[in-house]
Amino acid sequence: MLEDPALAPNVELARAVVGFALESGAAAAEATFTVSDRFSTEARADRIEKLEQSIARSVTLRVFRNGGKASLTTSDLAPDSLRSFARETVEAAGFVASDPHAGLPDAVEAPADERDLELYAPDVRARAAEDKLADALELERVARHVDSRIVNSTGSRVVDETLAIALANSLGFAGAYRASQAQIGTGPIAEAGGAKYSAQYGSAARSYAALEPVERVAITAAKRAVGAIGARKPATMRCPVIFDRDVASLVLSDLFAAVSAANVAAGNSFLATKTGERIGSELATIVDDGRLPRGLGTSPFDAEGVPTRRTVVFERGVLRTFLYDSYYARRLGAATTGNASGGSIGPNNFYLEAGARTLAELIAATPRGVFVIDTIGFSTESVTGTYSRGARGFLIEGGEIAHAIDEFTIANTLPEMLAGIDAVANDLIFDQPIVAPSFRVAEMTVSGA
Amino acid sequence: MHPDAATFERVLTRAIGAADYADAFYERRVVRSFRFQDGRVHDAGINVTSGVGIRVIAGDRSGYAFSDDLSEGALLETARVAALIAHDGGARTAAVHLPASPQRRAALYAAPDGRTRAESATYVDLLARADVAARALDPRVRAVNAFVTDELQEVTIATSEGRFVRDVRPLVALGVQCVAQGNVRGTGFYGDGRRAGIDFFRERTPEEIAREAARVACVNCDAIETPAGEMEVVVGAGSGGVLLHEAVGHGLEGDFNRQGTSLYSGRIGERVASELVTIYDDGDLPGERGSLTVDDEGTPGQHKTLVENGILRGYMHDRHSAAALGASSTGSGRRQSYRVMPQPRMCNTFMPDGGSTYEEIVGSVKRGIFAASFAGGQVEISKGDFVFMLAEGYLIEDGKLTAPLRGASLTGNGPEVMNRVTMVGNDGRLAGRYYTCGKGGQYVPVGVGMPTVKLSSVTVGGSGVA
Repeated sequence: MLEDPALAPNVELARAVVGFALESGAAAAEATFTVSDRFSTEARADRIEKLEQSIARSVTLRVFRNGGKASLTTSDLAPDSLRSFARETVEAAGFVASDPHAGLPDAVEAPADERDLELYAPDVRARAAEDKLADALELERVARHVDSRIVNSTGSRVVDETLAIALANSLGFAGAYRASQAQIGTGPIAEAGGAKYSAQYGSAARSYAALEPVERVAITAAKRAVGAIGARKPATMRCPVIFDRDVASLVLSDLFAAVSAANVAAGNSFLATKTGERIGSELATIVDDGRLPRGLGTSPFDAEGVPTRRTVVFERGVLRTFLYDSYYARRLGAATTGNASGGSIGPNNFYLEAGARTLAELIAATPRGVFVIDTIGFSTESVTGTYSRGARGFLIEGGEIAHAIDEFTIANTLPEMLAGIDAVANDLIFDQPIVAPSFRVAEMTVSGA
Repeated sequence: MHPDAATFERVLTRAIGAADYADAFYERRVVRSFRFQDGRVHDAGINVTSGVGIRVIAGDRSGYAFSDDLSEGALLETARVAALIAHDGGARTAAVHLPASPQRRAALYAAPDGRTRAESATYVDLLARADVAARALDPRVRAVNAFVTDELQEVTIATSEGRFVRDVRPLVALGVQCVAQGNVRGTGFYGDGRRAGIDFFRERTPEEIAREAARVACVNCDAIETPAGEMEVVVGAGSGGVLLHEAVGHGLEGDFNRQGTSLYSGRIGERVASELVTIYDDGDLPGERGSLTVDDEGTPGQHKTLVENGILRGYMHDRHSAAALGASSTGSGRRQSYRVMPQPRMCNTFMPDGGSTYEEIVGSVKRGIFAASFAGGQVEISKGDFVFMLAEGYLIEDGKLTAPLRGASLTGNGPEVMNRVTMVGNDGRLAGRYYTCGKGGQYVPVGVGMPTVKLSSVTVGGSGVA
């Protein structure tokens, strides 16, 4: 698993920390050493306002003792400090109730394939800082020239990061990999009639080369800000709602919580007893794939060192499985799906499969409805699946955008929304770990005037 | 391990070069936590944050770099990188000078010695008591999750202007989440905490906190779908302060006003709310969750009048936004950790008492919503649109609370809604429930508070159409 010899010292540090835990009486231990080299700049108008650059190092340790588990995360990597905090973590595990399911993965497992996951792009470190600053300034310049009503911005950002992750455990697993990520984005503000209308748009990928062009990002953001001018509150009604892909992705995030085995085990999921049942419409095929080349949720192994894989969660609306780490897999009598993350369960590339139609076709096929491009709030309640969000977007009348709307909420339950997906667009982009193409839900409650 | 004054002087002298200002923020924070699930201790965690962040300001430009390596060599290199933004060149002649040791302002909270910590058994006992109390309240309670965190953050701030300040900040929290099964599944969350040691939970007992979480879960078991549309809304005392935090507070943070991106930009002295509305933000209250003896730039925490009888009086500033707007820092510069730059943030935001009683306010509503407590909220700064999610809410019919509601939220525009405040109660208090504020990816503890308030019309979001 250790392909990159330059990461051998990182693996050694992880092994050493595992050693500290075993010395202190741990029955088993696992350590992850993460090094993140991050660059970030922000421009406003014609000036660079912020420039940040740092290397962050941290160690995460999980220990098991008498069936109890405890964890440590620290940015203090001095050997004495690591040793003493490792000891304290092992002591704390002694206060945790014995749990027969706690522990490392059952065995060291080989990855399912030898595919190159293409996680690291040299252009992220190679690109000159001057060029990154120039991109930030160009985002500002282009966004502010799209329309004379764009008079301000919350800034334009260029951010990148390279990561080196090394993991070792007392079963003998040792692995390491590098990954990279680049992001650009801008937040223009249009002013009209004494009100300010802000918008955000950005692009993210494993390499600079794979980002949307700077000009297109700036123009998309600017059009969103200008498009919101004159927004008014819609009437309260039930109608179809089209989620633009960014907000569609947020709906998938809420759904992820319900398929996480941690929530299922805790009785915190509306899906808890529904495996094998039809929950969603025929169009709802939802997958977690940790091995998608260049995906922002891709990695060779999860936070426990378990090789990632592809798992179909909903197949044409039928719930096939939850997503597990090794602990919840043992507890619920299943097999891990390689979703261990930060001491809990997290997504790899968790996505709704794309449909065949364009977003424009979805809108044209909607006689009367709401097209949502932004939501605020975070009230989804995973026990019942109750969903309610503040929103802004556009009213659709006769298959066309009628006018901008804001200050309203959209509400339904996640199971009814999944069942109500009656059209899915073809605009799926893997620009974050949880993504969805734009889709339409047949009916939701819009609360407005 | 902790850099001394001479080291900070050399590092800041390197950082400032020809720039206007530089500061260094040393932090060592240790958080210990235990979690209880299914009637037993589920896991334990320790989180250690240790490092130095260095900031350089030149005009409206800020450079930032941090290091988790505290050696002088690493800090000098960090200073060099932070200074890249001020690439105009030209070395400054005067070196930075600091007092021999950091100053301590009289603390708003008792700071335990960094080396002492409670026995693990103390935390476990608190959680076990919470679990028993929640289950004992009502047989409908099916699942109880509880956690306790005990944090101690030590910070030292050194600036190119010669400020050298230290603060030691304790923070404890205990939270309980319950799931109850009735007509529907109901959830309830409640938690409390302060800037204090774990002994705080001797007076504020885990049983009280757990019973409140279980009570809300059971109330929500009988909840009906929330009617949608515009109606009268009564916001309950305490946690209703989330309304002030979101609908007004964020828009008065100095960075947004320095940039002119807030709807409140340039509006000091103007009417922005009903004349019944006065709003304070106070970092100077003893022991509250949002209190700061000094902020993360070393400025003492202060009491600020944000809105007075409906008139906008002032913004909340950190050093950078204050300098840009010709004001003084209000002690509002806060950051999540040494890895990020400070931002202007709220501390404890609240509204003083008005003249009505709770009974008069609820009694005046023919049909509307009572928002007993909020789970949280979010605001968009430029136009001022907000959303609040209710943790506990009821229908009001003919002046009386009737059915509990689920999935309720309130949405609207900050100044519009604050202009619709028509009654203010005499029962103001800070929320006995803890809140954490997120901004630009940084999370900091805050306090909120309010008396009972009536809003003449707000859009209620729910899935029922009235």
